[in-house]
Amino acid sequence: MPGRPLSRRTAVGSALATPLVLAACDIDPPPRDDASAASPPPPEDAELVATVVAALVRAEGVLAATAAAPGLAARLEPLVAAHAAHRELLAGAVADTELPGASPARVPDAPDRALAAVRRSEQRLLRQLREACVAAASGDLARVLASVAASTAQHSAALGSGTAA
Amino acid sequence: MTVLDALQQTLAAEHAALYTYGVLGARTSQAATTELYDVLTAGYRRHRARRDRLRLLVVEAGGEPVAAAAAYGLDGRPVRPAQLQAAALELEATGVATMLALVARSTGTVREWAMAEATWSASWQLELGGEAQTWPGAPELG
Repeated sequence: MPGRPLSRRTAVGSALATPLVLAACDIDPPPRDDASAASPPPPEDAELVATVVAALVRAEGVLAATAAAPGLAARLEPLVAAHAAHRELLAGAVADTELPGASPARVPDAPDRALAAVRRSEQRLLRQLREACVAAASGDLARVLASVAASTAQHSAALGSGTAA
Repeated sequence: MTVLDALQQTLAAEHAALYTYGVLGARTSQAATTELYDVLTAGYRRHRARRDRLRLLVVEAGGEPVAAAAAYGLDGRPVRPAQLQAAALELEATGVATMLALVARSTGTVREWAMAEATWSASWQLELGGEAQTWPGAPELG
């Protein structure tokens, strides 16, 4: 049973920006306060998305710092590309929100220890994604976040538990 | 669509997945391809537990769990180890999409469980020769 097909453009954007589109789907839109309709509040999930984007930026900072370790850049490249795509999609859904910039991360120089730091960082990201998925008011957004979590878990498994050698 | 409808649809899909896993396992030689046999057996057990959980969730939601069909069609007739592995890989790819659909249509503990199962099916694809993807279960996002 495949999920309902959603284009890249509508998956998150419609869930956050256009409740009428949501109302036409089979998911209840988040409740709205009519009194504030003239000046709509930020969509219910916008803050949540911003939090996830911040978590991705943090994880990407660890990856960027680790890729400098000898021999790790090529191994980490698929994960770097995946998270960049994850962040781009989610950040696009909250374009009006101020999002954090990357802050430099410190990781050990030794490749094995650097790789261990990446694994810890990805596990932390996975926990944050799970929490956000459960907390999301929009079912479509929850689905996107669950896919990001599944991707993160896949890439972590692909990194394996072995050494950097 | 109600959560109960979504659970029933997921259960129906899980009946088919479990049947297929059973067929793939039955065609796999434990002696000649031990590793594949073990991976398929573990997958079968996981999906059996998933089906059982879905049945309980349907009952908790006030429904009568949909029954399995007598048999399900398989694409082609996989018999060689590489074909069996590829069929199982496809099964798990579909499994991620199925569980993501339930994530979208549920809340709370059901959504949390569906997400955990989606994550498992995504990770298990690596055991079946698959590669990590950017949008498992939701390729239209890429």
